[in-house]
Amino acid sequence: MEARIILQIQIPWNPNHKFSRRPSLYLPRFFIRASSSTSQKPRSYRGPKPSKNLVADFISRNDDLARSLPIYVGGASLLAVLFNRTVSGIAPVADASSSQSRADLLALGLAVTNLLTGLVWLSIRPKSITPVNPEGVECKVVVSGLPTTIVSELLWAWESFKVATCCKSLVIVYNGICLIQIGMVAESTEDKKGVIVNTDKLMQGSVYQGVMKSKAQSYLANLSLYPGRSELPFLPANTQAVILQPLGDKGIAVIGGNTIRGFTSSDQAWISSIGEKLDATLGRYFIDSAAEVSPEKD
Amino acid sequence: MSIRICNLPFNSSFAPQPRARISSRSTRVFARTENDTQQQLNLSVLRFTFGIPGLDESYLPRWLGYGFGSLLLLNHFSASAPINEPQLRSEALGLSLAAFSIALPYIGKFLKGSVVEQRTLPEEGEQVFVISSNIGDSLKEDLAWATYVLLRNTSTIAVLISVEGELCIRGYWNCPDQMLKAQLHDWFKKKVDEIGLADVKETLYFPQYEGSSASWDILPNGTRSLFVQPLIQDINEPQKMDGFLLVASTAGYAYSDKDRAWIGAMAEKFRG
Repeated sequence: MEARIILQIQIPWNPNHKFSRRPSLYLPRFFIRASSSTSQKPRSYRGPKPSKNLVADFISRNDDLARSLPIYVGGASLLAVLFNRTVSGIAPVADASSSQSRADLLALGLAVTNLLTGLVWLSIRPKSITPVNPEGVECKVVVSGLPTTIVSELLWAWESFKVATCCKSLVIVYNGICLIQIGMVAESTEDKKGVIVNTDKLMQGSVYQGVMKSKAQSYLANLSLYPGRSELPFLPANTQAVILQPLGDKGIAVIGGNTIRGFTSSDQAWISSIGEKLDATLGRYFIDSAAEVSPEKD
Repeated sequence: MSIRICNLPFNSSFAPQPRARISSRSTRVFARTENDTQQQLNLSVLRFTFGIPGLDESYLPRWLGYGFGSLLLLNHFSASAPINEPQLRSEALGLSLAAFSIALPYIGKFLKGSVVEQRTLPEEGEQVFVISSNIGDSLKEDLAWATYVLLRNTSTIAVLISVEGELCIRGYWNCPDQMLKAQLHDWFKKKVDEIGLADVKETLYFPQYEGSSASWDILPNGTRSLFVQPLIQDINEPQKMDGFLLVASTAGYAYSDKDRAWIGAMAEKFRG
């Protein structure tokens, strides 16, 4: 146990992280442990370490097996009870007369409970859908002239989407300019490179107009069923799901995924939050740059 | 097998039925799956229900396990004279079945599609929002936005972000009230230094947090899940900032893989 030193000190605010002590205000409620070293290296972590939960890991990995486990257990126990009866020569009569029958009845009841639980678990198993590899080429096109902070924010948004969701393509159009086109892109037929986004055509299309009018995120869970598919030719042909996120009223982010219904509701909420952030950042940048071009301010 | 989704009206008036029934009933559940497109699934499934509101039937196997197990023991001890072998076998089978049934709800919690616990807000205490004033405006804005989004999009009730030693704290924390914001920032900084969170090298996830040593008492009462995500320090990239991101929730097992992936993405923003 380290000795606790009760000091009456007020630690002043110092941007260099060094503590300089001088006796001043008396803080009656706090006992501050003095640290003997004033170095900038962080204290080593002294806290609980997370323990591995073997059961949870096993079940998450073997979901199907775990779901049907109660059925097997219940069925096997049913057979075992009957077998026990026949082997021991007692007639299989289900009444509560002897204590043997009572014990058997209770075991049967538990076996039936297990069977029913297994059936319930099987019935709520979510359907698993396999992702489809997008056909196209990798591409990373960022419009020139943007400051590094904006570029790094756009790339951060792409990295977040790529890591946390099934997103494989991202296109951001703002203020009539395609700011970034990154990820898998449809291969153009003339050359082997990717299809460039035709911003004017996109902005005149019904997809863009619809999203701008509703001002809300649009989630096309199964892109092949959607007739406006032709207005997004830059996405790989077998993109499965698309989220169209409006960035304020000046831009749109088109996010393509490789699984039907691959974006969960949590993903949608996160994407709309990031969309708002991008709109704030880009909006401020474009207003500033417009103000620089024209010196009059209103 | 697939989920049959159909929109049956939610039966909100429950007449207490003395008999149990197997019914096709539409329930609104918050389910943790990878493939649902709405926040709430309208599930029409084979469900065993008593029809009593507020009664969680998924714990039924546990109660039956306890009940039948105790009846088995009662039967054993009230049996007259020598107990023959087949009965002992039956009872052993029954007791092991009872133990398995008791464990069933716990196993069911880890299956995909299980119901996630909702967070409960602490009754006492107020929300705090403290940002260090030693940092630039754009970083302040980013921190404010990040903490807000974490509180909104996950079941977090308390979030703390540390970037190069400067803190941003938001949510319900167990801190002394009546303290100026500047002093509160220092107080948190001391506490964080005591725990040594800046030294954490990899993510820490405690889905069943039970309370810990004295330094951790800054966490609000009722914290059940805790997740710490360091901004990874890389010796090869000295210009990257270091720090960590800490989120706490009152729901157990609150941070699924997807939640943790998103929290990692938020931490990336502050790496520089």
